[in-house]
Amino acid sequence: MWTERIRIIALLAVAIISQAVGNVLLSQGMKLIAEESQLTWNNWVSIFLQAVQSPSILFGVGFYVIFFVLFAAALSRADLSFVLPAISSEVVLNVAFADYFLNETVSAIRWTGVLLISIGVGLVVQSSPRTFGIAGGQDTMAEGGR
Amino acid sequence: MKTAILIAIIVLADSAGDVLLTKGMRQVGEVSTFAPRALLAIARRAVRNHHFLASIVFMVMHFVGFLAVLSWADLSVVFPATTLVYVLGTLTAKFILQETISMHRWAGTMLVCLGVGLVSLP
Repeated sequence: MWTERIRIIALLAVAIISQAVGNVLLSQGMKLIAEESQLTWNNWVSIFLQAVQSPSILFGVGFYVIFFVLFAAALSRADLSFVLPAISSEVVLNVAFADYFLNETVSAIRWTGVLLISIGVGLVVQSSPRTFGIAGGQDTMAEGGR
Repeated sequence: MKTAILIAIIVLADSAGDVLLTKGMRQVGEVSTFAPRALLAIARRAVRNHHFLASIVFMVMHFVGFLAVLSWADLSVVFPATTLVYVLGTLTAKFILQETISMHRWAGTMLVCLGVGLVSLP
């Protein structure tokens, strides 16, 4: 069932981009706060107040909510064991974003890891997206990922 | 050490959240439409589903831990380390959610883990 697979992959692609963008925003926001005040559990109230006033963090949370809704939608139709590894391609985006936007150093070993993840995700998305059955509902996909 | 413990908590909370969310969404029903009314009905069923609600508690726990650890460690180290959740997730999918894990899927997941391991090296 390639059409269903492509639909799920499209859903996950948008989810992954949302989470990657959210990660960059949150990381930026938290580092700004860390520069201004000591991050300890004693002053978590003032950190929380700073966080909810930080545009980076609010937008970051917004992107996380979009991710969560799309993730839940995908899980209503596809295997967790399909969705999870597919979602790991966000590591690829995260490393690229960290390199590009956050100016963190990314070594050759990390780029190699990124390559392996990409191949792995490629393999996973070739398996059947759905092997679980829903009682009284539709058939599981006939090819069954065998 | 502080980072490692927090990452362990994040991974466990994330896995628990994933399994509960999957269970919940399978009870709530398939999201297969963009029609606002149908989506609203699904959302209503979701917020009354115990598995779904419990999954949100774990996701929030995961999120708070993630925020805390990001404030002192690099994103390109923290994030890949937390993706250990893919191994745990695949195992729970097989044994708790009764999914069939094909050879392709195992191989792909293992490559992902290996890649994640490499990415996480300091």
